[in-house]
Amino acid sequence: MSRERDSLVVCGQCGKAHRWRPLAPTSVARCTRCEAILGRGHRGTIQSLLSLTITATVIFLIALASDVLTLDMRGVARSTTLPGAISAMWEEGQQAIAVLTAITALIAPALFLGLRLYVLVPLAAGRLPRGFAACVRLLHLAGRWNMVEVFTIGALLSLVRLSSLADAVPGPGLFGLGAVMILFAGIESAGLKHLWWQVR
Amino acid sequence: MSPDESGTPVAADLPPLLGCESCGLVSEDVLGADIERAAASPRRRVQKCSRCGHVLHARKPMSVQRTWACVVAAAVLYVPANVLPIMTTVQALQHEDHTLIGGILELWGEGSWGLSIIVFIASIAVPVLKIGVLGLLAWTSRHRPAWRRLERAKLYRLIEAVGHWSMLDVYVVVLLAATIRFGPLAGVQAGPALLAFAAVVVLTMLATYAFDPKLIWDDPHARRTA
Repeated sequence: MSRERDSLVVCGQCGKAHRWRPLAPTSVARCTRCEAILGRGHRGTIQSLLSLTITATVIFLIALASDVLTLDMRGVARSTTLPGAISAMWEEGQQAIAVLTAITALIAPALFLGLRLYVLVPLAAGRLPRGFAACVRLLHLAGRWNMVEVFTIGALLSLVRLSSLADAVPGPGLFGLGAVMILFAGIESAGLKHLWWQVR
Repeated sequence: MSPDESGTPVAADLPPLLGCESCGLVSEDVLGADIERAAASPRRRVQKCSRCGHVLHARKPMSVQRTWACVVAAAVLYVPANVLPIMTTVQALQHEDHTLIGGILELWGEGSWGLSIIVFIASIAVPVLKIGVLGLLAWTSRHRPAWRRLERAKLYRLIEAVGHWSMLDVYVVVLLAATIRFGPLAGVQAGPALLAFAAVVVLTMLATYAFDPKLIWDDPHARRTA
């Protein structure tokens, strides 16, 4: 799983062409003109990427089903899940905000994980999945609009603001989202173009 | 931060090359790198990547125009986003409006300085930075193409990386409104500024993706005389 020596690499930021030299595991190749990252050294195997993705999917599903925050006000408790917060916004008449939150905190991360699973399982078995090119393009888009990490920090911030009102407790959903946030960073650091190096 | 020696630049005698944004394959630019004409006519013939079928552009079509459109719309919407209330709180039958800046000042007054700084960066500094930087990049790419290219390229990468963090306050209001639902005793309702602010965030992100950072390295004046 590495780029071939002397293959051409064009900098995505400025368009300058370079010849690839294999890198040591932790080193980074930068564009000689604009200093953008051209590529990284060996980033692990398809199998390790697949295992990270499966872990993230399981935790994300648990996080979706559990409470993110619970507020206790004189014995009356209110808690909310991520989908619950979206539907509450919809019912309140803020449909545009509900749709935007659904796309950025629910649909984009779901595509981010689902499409990776769809692509990585056959690739790990040495086969090419159907519609591979379209999946990679959609994955680029999902990565761009995925804001689950911002939502997680937003939930932490809400927790602090709520605690001045009443008893606010973080739910298992918040811990799940925190774990998903870290796993996403790990999955994303591998990039997407390298998936094509599996295809010869 | 010197460039790693492993990425050696290729000799300049090669034909113009295009890198696929989706799969990274490098192809020869068969339509020719005529940037002036490509920018002028969005409906020119397209070249597709031979491996994955993604459309290849020497430069994103109508990049500067689309960037300006989104930046101007975001700058206009930034006014109601700050002036109108972002949320209304109900506490013991009393309604109170909160603006974006009001919320930050409230946090500061309560002694949560760290939090108020985080919210200030995400809600005020990042959107203003994005609008300012994108305006600067779009203007200089036409009028001062040779000015501080490396710094401009780094500014673009910065706003590309931090752009989505300004959604923070939108999510906070969503979560507060969904959690504080105790009828007339206590409640939170989203205000009209929330929609305007969310639109600012989305428009500045669209502007960031509409702008082509390769324009920073072009020299339109030299090309015209050649």
